Amino acid sequence: MLASVHAELLKFFTTRLWWGMAIGVFVLGAGLSLLFGILYTSESLLETASGPGGVPTGDATQIANSVYTGGLGFAYLLLLCIGVLSIGMEYRHKTITSTFLTVPKRARAMLAKVLALLVIGGGYGLLSLVGSVSVGALVLNLRGEDPFPSTEILRTLALSLLVLGLWALIGLGLGILIPNQVAALMIGVGVAWIVEPVLGFAIKATDFGREHVAPYLPSEATQAVVNTVRSSPDDVRLSWYAAALVLAGWAALAAGPGILRALRQDVS
Amino acid sequence: MTSGGRIEITGLTKRFGSFVAVDDLTFTVEPGRITGFLGPNGAGKTTTLRMLLGLVSPTSGSATIDGTAYQDLADPLGTVGAALEATNFHPGRSGRDHLRVLATAAGIPIARVDEMLEMTGIPAFARRRAGTYSLGMRQRLALAAALLGDPGVLILDEPANGLDPEGIHWLRGFLRHLSTDQHKTILVSSHLLQEVEQTVDDVVIIANGVLVKQGAMADMRGGGGAVVRTPDPARLSEALAGRGLTATPGSDGELVVGTEDLRLVGEAAHEAGLPVWQLSRKAADLEELFLELTSGTNRNLGPGPTEGVA
Repeated sequence: MLASVHAELLKFFTTRLWWGMAIGVFVLGAGLSLLFGILYTSESLLETASGPGGVPTGDATQIANSVYTGGLGFAYLLLLCIGVLSIGMEYRHKTITSTFLTVPKRARAMLAKVLALLVIGGGYGLLSLVGSVSVGALVLNLRGEDPFPSTEILRTLALSLLVLGLWALIGLGLGILIPNQVAALMIGVGVAWIVEPVLGFAIKATDFGREHVAPYLPSEATQAVVNTVRSSPDDVRLSWYAAALVLAGWAALAAGPGILRALRQDVS
Repeated sequence: MTSGGRIEITGLTKRFGSFVAVDDLTFTVEPGRITGFLGPNGAGKTTTLRMLLGLVSPTSGSATIDGTAYQDLADPLGTVGAALEATNFHPGRSGRDHLRVLATAAGIPIARVDEMLEMTGIPAFARRRAGTYSLGMRQRLALAAALLGDPGVLILDEPANGLDPEGIHWLRGFLRHLSTDQHKTILVSSHLLQEVEQTVDDVVIIANGVLVKQGAMADMRGGGGAVVRTPDPARLSEALAGRGLTATPGSDGELVVGTEDLRLVGEAAHEAGLPVWQLSRKAADLEELFLELTSGTNRNLGPGPTEGVA
């Protein structure tokens, strides 16, 4: 099993995709933590922090969380793409044939992919954190804020690695269910980046939707796992562990049927 | 050096909807021999090989290697090496890295990768990205991949496609060496009988998913008889009849004699005092035979007029 996972990782690191994505993840991590670091510590914002209206609300820990995971909102889209590509490229270039010839027990081959994507998600998460924590802590320090107000920060940092891995699995499922790689990428990014947030906004228009539906959406769950600043004080948010389970549920929902299909489907 | 196992295809059938790609196919492939798996394009060769390798699930029937289905092999790459299509490489990954991925998954030392690249003659090219490779180079890389685990059974789908004459010569010698010296089982598919004529020991010919002939290559060639030309065919016929040989008149005054022993024909002519202008073995026209066995019913072609298109 370890050998299969190792082979999957080698597959990923022997094309040029990985370092392009690495640069993207790092730059997003550093850049957005700089942006959010300045934004969330600006005087006007803090003054109105407890006030009414659609202004982001949070305590010192949530502000630090938001600054450090500022790049996460984009990094998870990149990991979604990596997930799609990890299987999409195999279909497109027909290397899936050699993959299943080498590991004919397909369940094992697919499990290796899942584990490799979790490792890759974690790796990119670390890279993102190197960028965001170094820049973010500097900004918070300069702004006179405590860069590490509580140990909860560490939990957030660790969980952001898991979040990226889970989004990669959502991508894996999409990549199998939509065999055309380009279509899978467009649909995946389009839904995760535009459709789902817009839908979330619409759902929040009703009290029922705001309290019982919106918190379970993937992007909302993602924010809840890392406990960032709320975009509105009215938002209902799951606890971090419930949110992590919900996100894992979404990953299972996307990857599960995809993997089941890959196990049966003829490879020609 | 692993010597080969026996491939057994039993009642293998694959339906795609109402289309029967492979229809109740049964044949065996023996170790230590090179078997040509022949048929026109679209005859079901690739589907059969993919079923044997567990990539396509059969509608019914079974395909095993020494009694074991591919998916159940304990050491797949060490048992069967397959080169299915020479295009199955990621264009951005180098050939060497492609092999490294396979070797890693199968627990084969990386040194073996370079050994195989050396053996197939592409060690330098293999460090470039595969997108730049010619078809011939892809064929060699695919062969290197198939040999990675030193398997006893080799399955090669159209391995000569895209090879230059030197490459084809090299491939023939190489397959012969693997078969004779290492007693491996080798199954080579091709849509051209001439292409494998000099290489294979046995043939399995299919058309429209159905087996049309299985046997030794020697039997395919045999039964041709002898051709003799002489000024007086009638007298020679009598003389041959006296020795129990049947002779039938061929074109242009020649006689076709039902024996492959040219000495018998020569002696008969000598006794009859007839000069011999030509005496040769009548070669079976393999191309004609192949066409006869496989054509006329090609389901992939339209009727009549479109036949010439293929």
